[in-house]
Amino acid sequence: MTAIRVSALRKTYGANVAVDDVSFTVSAGETFGVVGHNGAGKTSTVECLSGLRRPDGGSIEVLGLDPARRRRALAERIGVQLQEAGLPDRLKVAEALRLFAAFYRRPDDWRQVMERWGLAPLARKAYGDLSGGQRQRLQIALALVGSPELVILDELTTGLDPVARRETWALVGELKAAGVTVVLVSHFMDEAEALCDRIAVFARGRIISLGTAAELMTATGTNSLDEAYLELVR
Amino acid sequence: MRAFARMSATELTLLSRDPGTLFFMVAFPLMLLVLHTGSERIAVLVPSYLAMILAIGGISALPGFVVTYRERKVLRRLATTPIAPLAVLAAQVVAQLVMGLAGAAIIVVAALAAFGVDAPAHPAPLALAFVLTVLMTCSLGFLIAAVARTVRVADLLGLMIMFPMIFLSGAAIPREGLPPSLRAIGEYLPLGPAVTALREGWAGTPTALPLLALTGIIVASTVISAALFRWE
Repeated sequence: MTAIRVSALRKTYGANVAVDDVSFTVSAGETFGVVGHNGAGKTSTVECLSGLRRPDGGSIEVLGLDPARRRRALAERIGVQLQEAGLPDRLKVAEALRLFAAFYRRPDDWRQVMERWGLAPLARKAYGDLSGGQRQRLQIALALVGSPELVILDELTTGLDPVARRETWALVGELKAAGVTVVLVSHFMDEAEALCDRIAVFARGRIISLGTAAELMTATGTNSLDEAYLELVR
Repeated sequence: MRAFARMSATELTLLSRDPGTLFFMVAFPLMLLVLHTGSERIAVLVPSYLAMILAIGGISALPGFVVTYRERKVLRRLATTPIAPLAVLAAQVVAQLVMGLAGAAIIVVAALAAFGVDAPAHPAPLALAFVLTVLMTCSLGFLIAAVARTVRVADLLGLMIMFPMIFLSGAAIPREGLPPSLRAIGEYLPLGPAVTALREGWAGTPTALPLLALTGIIVASTVISAALFRWE
């Protein structure tokens, strides 16, 4: 079953072409990696997937819906963690989860979500007082409280220390085990290799290579994904 | 509806955790009232202070909240959930209304119980004037939030607009004490009809003109804000 179908996607900002003729599909239950330099078109692509931006060309179907036209219907069924998105400093962890749960028709029990993601000890802590890793953990929990079929995670571990990064990876592994489709945007190759079934390498607004980590290495004659990536974007 | 109710409750909680709001909307008006103990003007001051409380909240506090949400990408984060964007902004108005009612309740109870002020003569027109004043001050707040690009600018504009307005329009001091030229200016400021409507509802003869003026300001300000407002 196909969860995402993107064909000939194009997104421009004035004269700047951010995404140019991008096509890919993601199967239900797959963890799909989107990697590339800053400005390669990753974020614009996932913003179009989540309905935040309207494409200038091509077509997108997410869970059978056009995100630009059915933003709210789609929002019921997907969870999004956005790069650099914050919450009010004085909002407490439990309040944030309870608030977000109220947005959805069939949410998970927010107390259970808080428990499951190890946030219960932080329940009464204000967002402004959380560490980077704790904020990220909360953002993932908020993306999941609506019980989504698909989650989009943008720059999930940027700015986290190695311990927090590994913990976050384990959380993504749990999602995968639960059968949730995951789109993971990253510029860390080790992360993409550890978590993703397939990886799309973006450069200058296009997908220049798409496959499993092993396929990307074979195609480039390299033996690490880092080297394969450098070879591809060269 | 559940999303809107929860959003409103959350915004009210956040507003009540803001020390500036708590002081200026709830404690400060009572302080001013106490300072006027024994004054003959106290019966005029009470309805005027209602306008002052709502102006402090809607015009000077609300823009900073909204622009912080834009700057910190909270609005963007919410746009990926099923809540309607307008519900997010409307929740700010509900929070201002409830906080305004709390501040109002304190000075009204104090005025009636401790300062011997007569109870409002026309409760229904007074309530209508109060609600329209909340909507008017919030609509000006959204207008400031629409034009301000940063939180600093939003806060500064809010204060620069709110302060002269509460003095010139007779919300913080009785307009009878102002020189005629300043008083004339105050009557043309958006808070002017609010003070008039609230005073008429409390002790005078309610008239339609200030209520219509408030409605006109709400509509105009909302239309302009909607055209200029940026979500990111």
